[in-house]
Amino acid sequence: MKSSFHQWFSLAMILSILLTACGGVLEKKITVQMVYGSEKQEWLQPLAAEYNQAKHKTAEGNTIVIEITPMGSVESADAIIQGTIQPTVWSPASDVYVPVANDEWRRSHASDLTPASYNYLVLSPVVIAMWKPMAEALGWPDTPLGFADIAALATSEEGWAALGYPEWGGFKFGHTHPNYSNSGLVAIIAQTYAGAGKQRDLTMDDLNDPDVQAFVADVQSSIIHYGTSTGFFAERMFERGPSYLSAAVMYENLIVAQEAKRLSGASSQLPVVAIYPKEGTFWSNHPYIILNAPWVTEEQRSAAQDFEKFLLDRPQQTRAIELGFRPADPAIPLTSPLDAQHGVDINQPQTVLEVPSGEVTAGVQALWKQVKKPVDLVLVIDTSGSMKGDKISSARTSLVNFIDLLDDRDRLQVISFNTELYDLTELSVLGEKREDTVRRVSGIIEGGGTRLYDATEKAVQDLTANGDPNHIRAVVVLSDGQDNESSLRLENLLAELGGTSEEGGNAIKLFTIAFGGDADQDILRQIAEITGGKQFKSDPSTIMKIYSEIATFF
Amino acid sequence: MNTPRLNWILLIVYAIAAAAVFLAALFLPEFRPIAYAPLRELLIPPPAPIQVSLLYSTEKEAWLEEMLLEFEAARPQVNGHPVQVSTQKMGSREMYLAVLDGQIQPDILSPAGSLQIAILEELSADKLGRPLVRQSDPAVCRSPFKTPLVVVAWRERAQVLWGDHPNGDFWKRLQQALTNPEGWAAYGRPEWSYLKFGHTDPTRSNSGFMTLVLMTYGFYGKSNGLSEGDILSNPEFQDWLESFEGSIGEFGDSTGTYMRDIVAYGPSKYDIVAVYEATAIEQIENARGRYGELFVHYPPATIMSDHPFCILEAEWVTEDKRAASTLLLDFLTSRRAQEQALLKYGFRPQDPGIPLDQSGSPFVRYQDNGLLIDLPPEAELPDGGVLETLLTFWIRNIQK
Repeated sequence: MKSSFHQWFSLAMILSILLTACGGVLEKKITVQMVYGSEKQEWLQPLAAEYNQAKHKTAEGNTIVIEITPMGSVESADAIIQGTIQPTVWSPASDVYVPVANDEWRRSHASDLTPASYNYLVLSPVVIAMWKPMAEALGWPDTPLGFADIAALATSEEGWAALGYPEWGGFKFGHTHPNYSNSGLVAIIAQTYAGAGKQRDLTMDDLNDPDVQAFVADVQSSIIHYGTSTGFFAERMFERGPSYLSAAVMYENLIVAQEAKRLSGASSQLPVVAIYPKEGTFWSNHPYIILNAPWVTEEQRSAAQDFEKFLLDRPQQTRAIELGFRPADPAIPLTSPLDAQHGVDINQPQTVLEVPSGEVTAGVQALWKQVKKPVDLVLVIDTSGSMKGDKISSARTSLVNFIDLLDDRDRLQVISFNTELYDLTELSVLGEKREDTVRRVSGIIEGGGTRLYDATEKAVQDLTANGDPNHIRAVVVLSDGQDNESSLRLENLLAELGGTSEEGGNAIKLFTIAFGGDADQDILRQIAEITGGKQFKSDPSTIMKIYSEIATFF
Repeated sequence: MNTPRLNWILLIVYAIAAAAVFLAALFLPEFRPIAYAPLRELLIPPPAPIQVSLLYSTEKEAWLEEMLLEFEAARPQVNGHPVQVSTQKMGSREMYLAVLDGQIQPDILSPAGSLQIAILEELSADKLGRPLVRQSDPAVCRSPFKTPLVVVAWRERAQVLWGDHPNGDFWKRLQQALTNPEGWAAYGRPEWSYLKFGHTDPTRSNSGFMTLVLMTYGFYGKSNGLSEGDILSNPEFQDWLESFEGSIGEFGDSTGTYMRDIVAYGPSKYDIVAVYEATAIEQIENARGRYGELFVHYPPATIMSDHPFCILEAEWVTEDKRAASTLLLDFLTSRRAQEQALLKYGFRPQDPGIPLDQSGSPFVRYQDNGLLIDLPPEAELPDGGVLETLLTFWIRNIQK
């Protein structure tokens, strides 16, 4: 009897303890999705993980889970408006694109997408990164420099030789694609302001002014290529050195990061400095925008506010300084590495440009499209037997889509290869042959071997012979397997590609796509990187996206 | 056999564990979500507090939060019931409009200035036949401190614009520089680009409203006797004000943001901002070591933001609530609360017995940044009708 009492009592106690523990077992979660400009990835990613680990709770008692996704600032705004992504928080690199996003949103909604006011996470001015000796040749730091100097250098026949430095070759400039990336967008807005000689009140009339258009075209003529990611630009510039890029538009924090690397011995490049454009610039201020969208619940809103509070707390803000950002909270002093030793000047910038209306910003994008540097492009596509099925059909559709993204002014050649090499169309202006080209590409069929090296060599040789060195020149190669029929050996191909690097950033660039599991990624990477291009990995489900990303380079 | 002994040990262990969970749930808030709630509620019946609701403007938020913690920690009671304070933040103008419309029924109202209390008193008397607030009665309406509207600028730039001592043409010079298409180039400093001045939206923020009143006085070169005719019948004034305000890109709603921005973004964003003295004090230390030196300028005549706390004369303010509200007003206007407001937040105490030049006072610490202990004369507050006219003119002709 006694023992039975004890057993029942024990059971009751176990049950009571289990019940009290149920709070832990039945833990409910509330997810906050945040889409953010990739520039702050290094800062944000570990912080989000740290925040999630601490299991913060909402007033309703649910555990907050933050999910963060990096995405180009302009691209993310477009995706939110089209409804393809539905985040709670949008944190682009700056609020320059907010008026455009609100204009678009109001076409189908009663109110703005963003609240009237919001906080900023970290700050970094948009600057022109330039190698220190080059900046000094232009009179830095005593002479204020800006886009006018870039335009003058870009259009000078002699390039750096005009300043007594023939060994530096032509002036090579870069910024990202304005339709995808914030720094590219602000770069063309700043160029337009500089062309108009204004710092505010940019109007549609300014955009129609031939002098303004000529100024922007001048700056654009020195562009080596565009791209989606500011980080990629910085990486390429700091890795390949002054022969690749003389200067590029980027954020101040990327310069601080590079200089920290150089000072620690991790990079052997020349020093690089931030030029704060004398005509004025923009701040990349990383707004934290909790969207006014129907899919955002009240609980998500308060959870998002809690995460915001965490990011603005002093320890997190102090960590941002270490990565070269200026904290949004002015109570935190700007200390090392934000100093001259790291190429930056915290007393700058002295002038910012007014954010134009949505209409004018869209107008600047249209003007840029009109005057941007055209591309001479050779598309090389593998039609060997192994491409059968899904592969060849997805390759056809995505190539057609890719051609759609090119301008009428661009020039295009298409080579298909298997055991043979075929010119589907030779290098000529796309506008005159768009329909015909699309028809030819839609008709490609698979069969035969893989003469990857021969086809790549032909593309480069054709482009060298027929391409215009004043255009962006690029080759995009798609291949799904190992070369098995070329007469050319890989070493010879690489030597040939490497030989063009005297032209530095203006050399022909190769973008390679390793399509499917059998492609030799390593070889394709070597082929791309020796030219300053980039290798991508893809399969039939992602090929459309990869081609679209490559399109942003032109 | 060992079984009974084992059971005894288990029993003791479980009993200790259960008691620990129970006690932890009683005393540790973080344990409560996993404890058995009905039992706790039975043991400790919920108190019946008197809730006082306070609607306030944000400039004094940090001070108020600190004071409310102290107030509640002292466990104030009325007739044996504990007093609890619930707060809501709101813009000063929005606040009196919401109360007048009956959208919100607070017990205590605390806008940024007596300006708004005066307007509410007048408008509510018109609308309801009796005023909702009585500004002149210190039993129900009291101010712990005041802070004047000042103009904060980068010292070097202010020097170029106004010279060493701004005088009567303070606002006129600013207007001229702002509307000059050459910007700073007209002053020999083309590298500073155009002049950037910022103040808040007068319809949403008290400091913007005060700036607008001072600009108007500035045009006429006077500091009292502003009439509706001055605003409505003088096209020269209207053009002057419209081009002045037209040079400002946007009007925000938080005074604190302007001061934070001039420090964080430097002269790239603002050369000059109109803010409260206390707002400037809050940030002035942070500005050191960046961009240049920030300097506080006092316009030739200024207006005070005096943060009155007024108990409403409304049927929802019960006797108990009134008594509890009075306790809160006593606390907020106590010498200690006023001293805290001075030493930590840079407000000027209403109690003349608290000296501004005592040790630890920001008025001593930031003297080099232009802070004055003795203020320039105060401009006369125009009556409610004139103020409404000026605001309506602004809304119709300037608001973007």
